[in-house]
Order: sequence, then structure tokens, then C-alpha cells
Amino acid sequence: MSLRFGRRESGEGPLSEVNTTPLIDVSLVLVVILLLATPLAFESSFGVHKGDPLAPPAVVAELPERVELAITGEHQVEVNGRAVAIGQLAGALGPLLRPGTTRAVAVACADDVSHGAFVRVLDIARQSGAQDINVAGN
Amino acid sequence: MRLKQTPPPPPMARINVTPIIDVALVLVIILLVTAPMMSMSDLPVDLPDAHARDIERHDFISLTVARDGRLAIDETAVAGIGDVPALLRERLAAGRDRDRLVVVRADASLPHRTVRRLLDAAREGGARNLGIATAQITDGRP
Repeated sequence: MSLRFGRRESGEGPLSEVNTTPLIDVSLVLVVILLLATPLAFESSFGVHKGDPLAPPAVVAELPERVELAITGEHQVEVNGRAVAIGQLAGALGPLLRPGTTRAVAVACADDVSHGAFVRVLDIARQSGAQDINVAGN
Repeated sequence: MRLKQTPPPPPMARINVTPIIDVALVLVIILLVTAPMMSMSDLPVDLPDAHARDIERHDFISLTVARDGRLAIDETAVAGIGDVPALLRERLAAGRDRDRLVVVRADASLPHRTVRRLLDAAREGGARNLGIATAQITDGRP
């Protein structure tokens, strides 16, 4: 679309026309860049600590308030040795990770459990208040 | 009195370079902003979904493992997991920040043992800050 002023049909006089080509060029480039970059903007990550697999096991008495999570199956989790359904995990973790505790979680996961299930548990733990997530060495 | 009629000026044939400069400048700015985000492999990876958003840094080294087991450090393909520590050590040494974040980008369908081995390899390679990449869920949809 353009705006025209003055006399054009006769071929005489000045032509004042708003040139929208640069605006359209820039807009199209922006659209393409945003289309490409949008998936990247929706990528995030969890910070985790990884234990040394060769290190001796930690003394439990040094970490009295650490919550032990064991992922034994795709939908099976143990919280401090007690089996909990994945649907009730947030409810079980909430009181344990309330403000004022160490809010540290150690996560051990069975080898055959999918990475998606592992991250789902980390996500629930993080939403329940876990601030320090340690992934067990083995 | 008779006015002297001046001849019209000759047509000016000049290429208007303004649009191309506009586009070029926008491209430069966009590339500067997105360059850190683009330094990751284009291997097909279906990241696990998560609500929580933990790390917001974009300056990180990515360790990507695809569904078929192919590996990459940033955009560089890696032959096997045994090569990861040495290559990662090189990258960490080349950068200014030795505590640079290393993010493991693993497909959601992979078994946890693969991710654990990769985390072990990253730690062996000198990574002090580790992260696990997720696809952000927004409004119930990833």
C-alpha cells in the first residue's frame, strides 16, 4: 500500500510516495529469525551435581535433612525408602522440602528408566522446593 | 517579461542502498544476539518436558545425545562417549571461564544409564557446573 500526493497521471510535478519496501524487508527478516529462534527460547535446563562414581559413599549423618529419591521404574519412586506413586510425589515432597530445611535432594535412578521419567521427577522435586539436586553416581 | 525556461534536470539513476543497509544491520544485530544459542548440534533430540525453569544462562557448552546414540559437543560430532572428556577439557581450557556451564541435551526416550555416563564423562572432562536440558512447558503445552 502506498500514499500518493500530487499529480501523477500527467507525469508532471513531484511524487511523494511513502516507500514501504525497507519496512517490509526488515519485518520479513524478523519473522524468519523469530521462527527459527523460537524453539531455542523454550529450552531450559536444571542444574545438577554429579557425584564421583569412584568416591566413597557419603556419611549419612553429615546430611541429616537430605531427601533421598530413588526412581525404580517409569512411575515408581521411593522417598526416603518409602514407595510413593508419581502422582503423590509432590504431596510427599512438599513437607520435606519446606523453607527452613536444607532443601537438598539426592536422586538415584535405575539404569533402564527413561530420561524423560528421570526429568519428570526432577521437575516435581524442583517445583516442590528442592534447591540442590545431586544425581547419584551409580 | 519572458521567463527563461530551464531544461529539466537529467534523470538520476542511483541505486537506493538504504533497504539493504537496513536489512544487513538487523541481521548483524540478530546474529550477535542469537550466536550463543546457535552453538549447539542440530541432531534430532526430543527433550524431556518440564515446568520448572532453573538456569537462564545461554553461554554454555552443550553435550547432545540423539535418540540413535549419536553424540556432539556443541555443533561438533563426537565418535564415542570415550572422546568426550578430552574434547570437553579442550573447550573448557580454550574459554575464559573454567566454570562454564555444561548442559546435557539428551533425548527423553534414552535410558538413564546413557545420561549418567555422559554426566560422568563431563565431570571427568573438568565440568564443574552441570545442567540437564529440558523443553519448557508453557500453558500446559511444550
